Formats: sequence, structure tokens, C-alpha cells
Amino acid sequence: MTVDPDLIAMMNAVFADHRANHGQAATPELWSRLRSLGLARLTGTEPSGGSGAGWHEAAELTAAAVRTGVRIGLPEHDLLACWLLEQAGGRVDDAVRTVCALDESGTAPAVPWARAAERIVLIWPDSGQYRLADISTADLRITRGTNLIGEPRDAVAADLDTLTGAAVCADVVAVLRRKAALIRAIQVCAALDAALELAVQHASSRNQFGRPLAKFQAVQHLIADIAAEASLARTATEAALTAAVSTDWAAPNLDFRIGVARSCAGHAASVVVRNAHQVFGAIGTTAEHRLHEYTRAALAWRGEYGSVRSWDEQVTAAALRAGAGGLWELITA
Amino acid sequence: MAQLLMPITRPVPAVHPDAADTAALRAEVRAFLAEQRAAGTYTPAVDAWLCSWNEEFTGALAARGWLGMTVPKEYGGQGRSFLERFVVTEELLAAGAPVAAHWIADRQIVPSLLKYGTETQKREFLPKIAAGQCFFGIGMSEPDSGSDLASVRTRAVRIDRGWRLTGTKVWTSGAHRAHAFIVLARSAPVDPANRHAGLSQFIVRFADPGVEVRPIISMNGRHHFNEVILDEVFVPDDMVFGEIGNGWQQVTSELSFERSGPERLLSTFVLLPALADEMAQQRIPHDAGLGRLVARIAGLHHMSAAVAVALERHQPADVPAAVVKVLGTSTEGDIAEFADLHAGDDSALSRDTRALIDAAVDQRPGFTLRGGTNEVLRGVIARGLGLR
Repeated sequence: MTVDPDLIAMMNAVFADHRANHGQAATPELWSRLRSLGLARLTGTEPSGGSGAGWHEAAELTAAAVRTGVRIGLPEHDLLACWLLEQAGGRVDDAVRTVCALDESGTAPAVPWARAAERIVLIWPDSGQYRLADISTADLRITRGTNLIGEPRDAVAADLDTLTGAAVCADVVAVLRRKAALIRAIQVCAALDAALELAVQHASSRNQFGRPLAKFQAVQHLIADIAAEASLARTATEAALTAAVSTDWAAPNLDFRIGVARSCAGHAASVVVRNAHQVFGAIGTTAEHRLHEYTRAALAWRGEYGSVRSWDEQVTAAALRAGAGGLWELITA
Repeated sequence: MAQLLMPITRPVPAVHPDAADTAALRAEVRAFLAEQRAAGTYTPAVDAWLCSWNEEFTGALAARGWLGMTVPKEYGGQGRSFLERFVVTEELLAAGAPVAAHWIADRQIVPSLLKYGTETQKREFLPKIAAGQCFFGIGMSEPDSGSDLASVRTRAVRIDRGWRLTGTKVWTSGAHRAHAFIVLARSAPVDPANRHAGLSQFIVRFADPGVEVRPIISMNGRHHFNEVILDEVFVPDDMVFGEIGNGWQQVTSELSFERSGPERLLSTFVLLPALADEMAQQRIPHDAGLGRLVARIAGLHHMSAAVAVALERHQPADVPAAVVKVLGTSTEGDIAEFADLHAGDDSALSRDTRALIDAAVDQRPGFTLRGGTNEVLRGVIARGLGLR
């Protein structure tokens, strides 16, 4: 599945322009621009005001934000919150949303973009089922938190007794978790690819001992390993995305493929981050240099919607369930 | 404000959505393998594509039409796609099946013959390869030419009606059992300005006069490799392979087939199901490192398939093939290492699993050497990125 290069160029241009003139943080003006271009609800259905595009386009849009270093809860808004609201038959307007899965006590830790959203689509368990409500952020108790790169990851608390919600079946909640996990894999991959490109540029332009760093075999090998690991992460993530899109997120092997993608992307980040900083030397550790926009982001994102270890565990559990006779079938399904 | 990044050119092609169209073929091969195991034809082994020579099994594969799959029917083959061959080989490797006898012939001699062979050579060798009756070796490395292949010193001297070859080849796996190999030799003096010129390839039979095969015993006492000494071996003109002087280009075109295949990641795969079983039975402690390795193999399976599709379409694949081989051979080694770290005199592992682990740690050093060392391949990747 290839996405129209002109569309990708337009996506890049929107974020690049914002970055050049307003910095990394998303502003109401950026959201407004995204809405006017049909990018804010890229995958929403057309009757509900969305653009009717698919996840391949959304993956490019997500990657464009990562590449330009613009921090925005756009995937959470379009791919998770508004999708979920549409699923439940709710009305989708122009408000910026995020999604939050509460526990039985009505709390959730580290909710992405909670304080930055105008409304939050809540889901919570209710006697074996789930319920959903679209609530103004002002009506919720928000305790500020951030991840490694300063993105809002807030604790959210709601009074479940006072909430009435539409019933949502467990399958939809399972799809929500798959989508959330894959978004972070897509973001990690985009960050790793950007770190690769920066490392190639730096090694080609920086001279030491009378020649470019790129001419040192030891440096070539560091960068070759960055490229290899970033490629594996991307391949595994695309394999999961392809299975998801072609089966409307219902492929029987989808949980395995997502686990594979998150494991590969998480471990790829170890090599890419270590090697990229090694190639850059001390300058790469400074605030003014932009390498950290990718390396720190990759480390922050690889542990969200589940730690790398938890994804390794999920793949391990799947392997044990498949057993000796079924492991290869699991991998090739 | 620094310049903004644009999407980079991807080093590895996009994932191929293969599952649906190859599922039936996979099922067919799996059923065949189950039958063969039940009949006691083989027990799954580590690094079986180098170590497990079983001509009976090779014959059974030929009878099913799973040798020389990409060979056109007119030359005794099946006329099937490269991707179908990929699926069959992947299944055989994952099962640790004994494929060493036909491996070199089927993997790289077939595509080379189809590309460079004369009509006579194709008629002579392809039907026998597809029938599982003709086995090949590789004649590239020499005692003084390992990774630096352009430095080969085996000489080919023009004589009446053919060529005379003198020199020594090493690491020719299976030469003591196979029929022929393709020798890379220097047919013109070295041109310092173009080291890759003046090389040519010749088809040489191990039974030919002047050919001597000497065993090279591996550190665990087993015999897979050989040294092959060529002492004024006569090669008739009709056994010149490809064009005189074009040897380098011919050899490097083989390499993408040699480097990106599933054997570059599945040499130790049989350990993963064995370890999953040991872990499920609680004979080794629960360890999420298993999932990490399963995930890498799954990712590499998709990557290797994507390269197979690129090769089928005749797209350049040297860089992606190098990526697959660097990652794959490291991972198959990591699987051996992971297993060995669980294997002590205090662990309850089964005798069969222990035997697989012992074989795996002995074979492991070879994984990242054969077919181009990972250091050379990182150089190939770096060149693809514009660093050299």
C-alpha cells in the first residue's frame, strides 16, 4: 500500500511550517489548520465530517509530525478518541479529544494529552461490559504528569456513579488497545528513521583527523546497525499494519503481529539511540542539537501502552500457547 | 532553525502481503514434513542446510517437485515462482530438515545457470538438479582470499579447446559428496586499476583428473568443509561459465540470492519450539527473552520475504540482502546463546534439547562469517547509505 507522495509532501509541509514558525508545541492555530486541510480527522467517516482516509495515510501523517519534531496528540484524537466516539454512535464535533480507559474506581494514570484536550472519551468497565462517555475535560479531575519528552501524561479521575454511558462491547475495547499500541510503534519507527538520517548527515559533514567521520569504518558500522535495526522495526510494524487494515483490525494473528512490532521497535530503539549518540559525540547530548528530539522520543514512546518487556512477555505467552508444534505456524500466519 | 527532515529512502522494500496466496503450499509442505518425521527419515537438526546431507530426503523432495522449482519445465523443472520456492525452503529450514545435499545447487547454481548458462549447460545440469541427482559446491574462497574475493589466485590458462586451472579452493562444503562446483579463477593478470577485471568462472567436476578433495574437519570433529586442489585441471570450452572476464559481475549477482534467503535467519530455529516446550513444562525458568527472539524471527521472516519479492522482480537487492543477513545471522546466533545460557548441569533440559544447543553453539561462529562476513556486509549497507 503506497500513499500518494503529494499527500505526504503536504503533510510534511504543514508540520514543517508550524515547526519553523511556532516551535514544537501544537497550538490552536495548528489544530485549526489541520481541520481546514481535512487532516485533523483524516480517518473519520465523511458523513461525520472526517476525510474517510485509511490507516496507511494516518501512519504517514503521524510520521510527518514525528519527523518535524511537532508534539501533538493528533493520533489519539483522530485514530482513537473520535473513532471510538463514532463507534458508539456519538456526535463528533471540532473539539480536540483524547481517550482514557478508566479502571473500576474511575481513575487512569498517564493518560496521553488529557490536559491538552477539550473533551475526553472515557471508557470504563461495567459488570462485564464497557461503557463510554464523551466528557468535557473541565468536568474531570486532572493531575498533571509528563513523559520523558514533556508530553502530557496526566492522571484522570471521574466519579463513575454520576456518569451515564453508552454500552460498548469488549471487542471494540480490544481494537482500541491494538490501535493505541500500533500508534506508538509507528511513532518509534519514524523517530528511528529520522535518527538514521541525522547520523548519516552528521557523519558525512563532520571532519576529524582530517577526514569525514563517514570514512571511519567503526563509524560506518555504527550507522549500518542503526539502519538495520530501524528497518526491522519498520518491517515488523508494517506487517502488523497490513494485517490490521486488510481485516479491519480483526485478524486472528493481529495481537501477535502487534506484539512483534512493539518488541522489535522497542529493542531497535536500544541500538539506534546508543549508536546515534555515539556517532554524534557530546554535541548530540545538548538541548540545542535536535538529535534528542528523536532519541528521547523513541525511548519515551517505546514504553507507552505497555513496556517493551510487557510486549516481549506477550510474544512469549503466545509462543508458549502455540507450543512446539505451532510456533512456526504462529510466525507465518 | 535546522533544515527539516524529509522521509529517507528505505533500505528494505515494503512488506509483501503473502500469507493468503501461499498458505496452501505451506500446508502441503508441512504435511509432507510430518510424514517424513513419522517415517523416521530425519530428526530436526540445527544448521541442517550445511550439516544434514540426506540424499533420500532430497529425492523425496524432488519427487514432490520441490527442487529446481524456478527451473522452466523444458529443463525438467516446475516453472514456479521464486516466491513459491522461498515458501518451500522456509518451511524446510524451520523444520530443521536435511537439505544440505541439494542446497547449493538449488539455491544459487539454478539461478546462475538460468542467467548465464549455455544451452548445453542448462540441458546437462538443470534436469539432474531438479531430479535431486546432481549436487554442487561453491568454488570462491581460497586460502589467501576470504572476504577479499577479488584477490583469488587460482589461474586459468588458455590452451587448445579449453582452459587449464591451477590453484586451491577452500570451505567447499559437501565437495566430498557433490558432483561439481563453479570455480572463480583469474583468467588475465591483475589490473591494479580494476581489480575486478580478468576473473572468470568454470564448471569443474570433482571427479575430473587433477582435482583432489581434502577434508577440513570442524572444531567439533565433523566433516562438512573441504579444500579442493586443482592441479592443471582441463576445462573444455563448453564448461566455461558465463563470459570470460565477467566473473566478478556473475559472482556478485549470485550474492543477493545467497545473502537474503531464509537460511540466514533460521539456522537455529528448531531451538525456539524446543525451548518453548521446555519453558511450558517448567524445565527452564520463564524468560521473556524467548519472546524477544521469536519477535525478531517473525520480523525477519517478513523482511526476507520482501527481499524475495524484489529479487523476483529483478530489482537491485544487494543492500536489503545485506540488512537481512547482518540481522538474521546475529539473531540465529543469539538464539544459540539464549539457549546455552539456560543450559547448565543444574537445569532439567531434555537430552534432545541439549544436543541441539551443543550443535548450535558449535555452528554459531560460522553464521556471521559465511556468505560474506557481517563486517563486510555492514560496509555494503554503509555504501548504500552514501557513507563510502
